Amino acid sequence: MKKVKTFLLLNFFFLVLPNLCFAEERLIEIKAKKFSYTPNIIKVKKGDLVRVRLISEDVHHGFFLDGYNIETSAYPGVDGSVSFVANKTGRFTFRCSVTCGDFHPYMVGYLIVEPNIRFYTFIFLVIFLGLGSILLLFFKREKVNDKDKLFGLIDLNWRFELTKFKIIRTLFKSRWFPLLLLIFNLFVFTVILIAGFIGGYQAGNYNFGIMIVWILWWVLLMLILVPVFSRAWCMMCPFPIFSDWFQRKRLFAVNQDKPSGLNLKWPKKLKNMWLMNIVFLFTTFFSGFFTVRPFATFVLLGFIILLAFIIGMIFEKRSFCLYICPISGFQGLYSQFAMSEIRVKNPEICKKHTPKTCFVGNENGYGCPWLLTPFDFKKNTYCGMCTECFKTCPYDNMAFNLRPPGVDLLVDTKREPKGLDEAWKAFIMLGIAIVFFLAYQGPWGFIKDMARATTLDGYLRFIIFHTIFNLLVIPAVFFVFVYLSKLFSGNKEIPLKKVFINFAYTLVPIGLGVWITFSLGIILPNGSYILHILSDPFAWGWNLFGTANFPWTPVFTGIMGYLQGITLIIFYLFSLAYGFRLSKQVYPELKQAKYGWIPIFSFLTLITLIFLWLFIG
Amino acid sequence: MKRNEIIAVILVILATVGTVVGIFGIEKYRRAKLFTVELIARQPAHGNWYPRRIKVPFGKEVRIIIRNIETVSHGFALPAFNVAVPEIKAGEVVVVRFTPDKKGTFPFMCTVWCSDEHMDMTGELVVE
Repeated sequence: MKKVKTFLLLNFFFLVLPNLCFAEERLIEIKAKKFSYTPNIIKVKKGDLVRVRLISEDVHHGFFLDGYNIETSAYPGVDGSVSFVANKTGRFTFRCSVTCGDFHPYMVGYLIVEPNIRFYTFIFLVIFLGLGSILLLFFKREKVNDKDKLFGLIDLNWRFELTKFKIIRTLFKSRWFPLLLLIFNLFVFTVILIAGFIGGYQAGNYNFGIMIVWILWWVLLMLILVPVFSRAWCMMCPFPIFSDWFQRKRLFAVNQDKPSGLNLKWPKKLKNMWLMNIVFLFTTFFSGFFTVRPFATFVLLGFIILLAFIIGMIFEKRSFCLYICPISGFQGLYSQFAMSEIRVKNPEICKKHTPKTCFVGNENGYGCPWLLTPFDFKKNTYCGMCTECFKTCPYDNMAFNLRPPGVDLLVDTKREPKGLDEAWKAFIMLGIAIVFFLAYQGPWGFIKDMARATTLDGYLRFIIFHTIFNLLVIPAVFFVFVYLSKLFSGNKEIPLKKVFINFAYTLVPIGLGVWITFSLGIILPNGSYILHILSDPFAWGWNLFGTANFPWTPVFTGIMGYLQGITLIIFYLFSLAYGFRLSKQVYPELKQAKYGWIPIFSFLTLITLIFLWLFIG
Repeated sequence: MKRNEIIAVILVILATVGTVVGIFGIEKYRRAKLFTVELIARQPAHGNWYPRRIKVPFGKEVRIIIRNIETVSHGFALPAFNVAVPEIKAGEVVVVRFTPDKKGTFPFMCTVWCSDEHMDMTGELVVE
């Protein structure tokens, strides 16, 4: 009898009581107006019965809730309603499901079903793993003669040569490669330009150009091309094909005559990333236009193609790609993290080999168009992977290797030094990720109004904030931690600038991780548009593949939070792993390296937590 | 080598000029097969229907491609021939087909409250 009583009592406390006391019926009125919801962040408790009434204040808007996959829509004067039991915890985004205007894909709000267990779990994981790494650092005895292994698993010197397979080497040596890829992309971009031109000023989510460039291409770049294949995009980028053709006077064959055009040397002072930093930051000012307006994408791409051609006529080889192209800079920086590389196999062979055909060119190929010295370069940063060196080397001494991600971050040679330009590139990329998230994946309508220039005043404020935040605020905050690092280390001789530059490279892995996380938030909700635009690229009522009427379908958006959290943690760990190695490079003594690492570790942990909060908190 | 060079040049021309000519050529052919009118839907404040007056031949099937190039929803109704599209979302393209079996001038209009001047968003269809 007593047992039954206890059982009933326990039942009452743990099953009945929580439901009686906490689960309620919640009626939530959401007002939708271009391009935000009020309220924009809704908190409910697990188990609540949520009834949503959607009220439109201007045009036909929709409401689609990630994870629950429920939908409703409202016309002005005709409300929509939907109800559900909040039985999944976490933060879920609700999105407009009816094309309502240019910023329609960015019209979102958050529903937080408390307790937000996934957020707390990831916070705990970051702190646990982070502190764990510090404890290991201080209490684990270092073994002498130990190989330097990433996470104690992968030897940093491990390489797997892919070109040892004959088929890959033959491919790399063929002059059709990467020319055919280039021509294919030329075709794709011609279609994009046509679609952009006739697409005009309409909403971009049914436009071929917008979807291929900003949904597919950008996401591929961040998700696969850069992290795995380094600058593989530069290999197949069609934009410089015309200037190459003009300079070489040949498209396919090798022409050893003097190249046409002025072939000036690029000014030495500009042989760094500063110009690209500025050009890229400047380009992002207009992100609120060219990611949603087809014609703006047309103008942007047209301008880049034209500029590439003009620069190609004036300056030698790939000067445009090396020092101007807006997207070249971050590919260069982040490809230092990439899992593959083009390197020389045996430097001894090169030492005896004169003249260096990989640099000057021969009848089989051109001297490195990216102005590198293929026989001894150590970093991916400026290698455009054009594979000319595979063609020019008579000893087949070039290799395309798989490698542990991130090893270039530790390279600091006289010819390929670490510099402030690359440090600032790392800051800018981190800052842009934050601003883009706030503007395009956040629920705040006023930021969207600023970014799409509803008022000139707001737009100017957006630009100014964006610029100052990226160029000054982030570096300043980082500087404080660098200063602390020097203080903690107790080393007085080492120049602060060196500490600053070296530690800035710890932002590369986490920065790339943040962009991957951000990209998941682009492709998973909006990827289904691609099926539509492939079938009807010019909005002329075509149906090439029978998918023109495929409805907008978010994919895996319910578990997106987990994917984003896992991505951030993985790249956070990479940042820590390389951070301490960089610390050992900065400070001459191990003890200094350990203490000097603590402030930088704190900074990395802090920004990881901030991004976790932004993405899933 | 010479032959490959020519192939490469041809491929590049196909990828650029060929694509442009091909795409517009196919569309032109498609439209020639069936009498086609392109109608652009805009709020009166942004230019209204374009063109506002459509001429179609009598007795043969015609097709109207309605492109909503705006950022709000519109609708389309041509009551005389029982043609209606309840909603054309922003950026959407809708194709309607019908056979004009009456001669004369008939009104068509927007059927979604698209702006304050929604009631002015009308046009005429002329069957000759």
